[in-house]
Amino acid sequence: MRRIEFWKQRLIGFLFPPESDNWLALLRFGLGLQVILYSLSIRKDWACLLAGKGGLISRNLSETVIALESSLIPRVGWIVALGGHFGLSEESILSIIWYSLVTACCLLLLGLFSRAAAIATWFLHLAAVKSADLFSYGMDNLTTIGLFYLMLSPLPDRRSLDWQRRKSRPQHRDLLGFWRRVLQTQMCLIYFFSGIAKCLGPGWWNGINLWRALTRPPFDLISADTLVRFKYLLPIAGVAVWTLEIGYPFFVWHRRLRRPWLIAVLLMHVGIGITMGMYLFASIMIVLNLAAFGPGILWHQRQVADDGTAARKSLAPSPNN
Amino acid sequence: MAFFAAHFFFVGVVSCRELFWFLSQGRTIFPHSFNSYWAKAEDLGSSILLQNPGAPTTLRKSVTTYVHLAGVESGYGFFAPNVPGTCKLVFELHYPDGRTESRVPGVSSNASGLRVATLLDKIGRPEYDSLREVIIKMLASAVRREHSDATMIRAVFGVVMLPTAEEFQHGVRESSEFLYSYDFDFQPVGPKQPNP
Repeated sequence: MRRIEFWKQRLIGFLFPPESDNWLALLRFGLGLQVILYSLSIRKDWACLLAGKGGLISRNLSETVIALESSLIPRVGWIVALGGHFGLSEESILSIIWYSLVTACCLLLLGLFSRAAAIATWFLHLAAVKSADLFSYGMDNLTTIGLFYLMLSPLPDRRSLDWQRRKSRPQHRDLLGFWRRVLQTQMCLIYFFSGIAKCLGPGWWNGINLWRALTRPPFDLISADTLVRFKYLLPIAGVAVWTLEIGYPFFVWHRRLRRPWLIAVLLMHVGIGITMGMYLFASIMIVLNLAAFGPGILWHQRQVADDGTAARKSLAPSPNN
Repeated sequence: MAFFAAHFFFVGVVSCRELFWFLSQGRTIFPHSFNSYWAKAEDLGSSILLQNPGAPTTLRKSVTTYVHLAGVESGYGFFAPNVPGTCKLVFELHYPDGRTESRVPGVSSNASGLRVATLLDKIGRPEYDSLREVIIKMLASAVRREHSDATMIRAVFGVVMLPTAEEFQHGVRESSEFLYSYDFDFQPVGPKQPNP
């Protein structure tokens, strides 16, 4: 019984460590910036990707497929139908959605009405992604994951304007620790499964897959003539990629290795962004990594003084202890 | 703590299910004889996520809704286990005077171009067999809006085969493999004539 109690306390200590809100400020600011960049990147094609009629692919097709899975998944069609009751055209509503999304992101950046802004950003982004599901890829899911956790985390953080306006508001440091643990666990699972899936493919052992990834349109920013000069490095780089990914959930907790490991992973994403032109994918991974593990590993974080809300001290290995 | 357990249970099962799907498709470091076992494991993952037809509808939809809201409905096998060839769609526009010209689905930015490339890769997969014609017809209609005098559009869908580094050094360059073509007649408005 004593042993069970010991492990229970250890688990609680791991899940609810007293934590500062530096990571949350980073997540809020990073995701705000990320979704602004996402919105700007498809500004000219926004209507084309989301139109019911007159676009590339009718939004209704994606929405019908999504509705078959569940009718409660947010979609742009809901907002278009609502706007229709007020006599607004689809084109106007799509513009309003775009401006609303950017406005919500600006509020997130400032930390003004943080919770409402986080919910609005999550909802509008998710609706846009689901309604253009046929055009969506991994970056969209990762952004949804980040926004989902941000929305549920104990906002506002100290660096937000909300905090400046209401200084007396208490912070739930154990909850801050919990949601950081959730994000950290999510990142560990993402890398672990991504690495395992890669190492199953023989092409990730002999460099073929890395060659194909870098020469495959539209990711062929580096000419094949240049790339072929480094072909002997490709097998090493390919193995390094999945080794970094599989090793992430283990070594990011290791006192000595967590810093070099995290830096290596961040550099890998910078490399993906530069060499493959996947700037938004690179930036969302960098934002999520920095928020999850940056404070305490990449830069010193002041130890949090227990203010009574954090009932339990962390017993588990943590970037802060 | 219950949220943590339930949430990451879903994340773990979704990721494992995708991993087993990769394995069941073959072309991994495991022998092909294992494929049927991986397929069974994938089915088990679907059952755990209540995605099988026998599962109670309310529970199934609740789980589906939750994983979509949280963004954890799919796994994380980016470019894994193998990097496929890239799919390509070219429209051949035919005009009444006998002229022809080629067009590809056009967007304004590289970021949107990446999304169109994602779409083409998706519709190249077998699971999109039923939707492929419909989607290509919609894309053809979008091209027609900009070239309203075209009377017939032939959509040619294929996959670009990339050479390996060694092949590239020996002068081999990318080649296209034809997969499907569809003719869309716009004069008068008539049904498509698929030529698979």
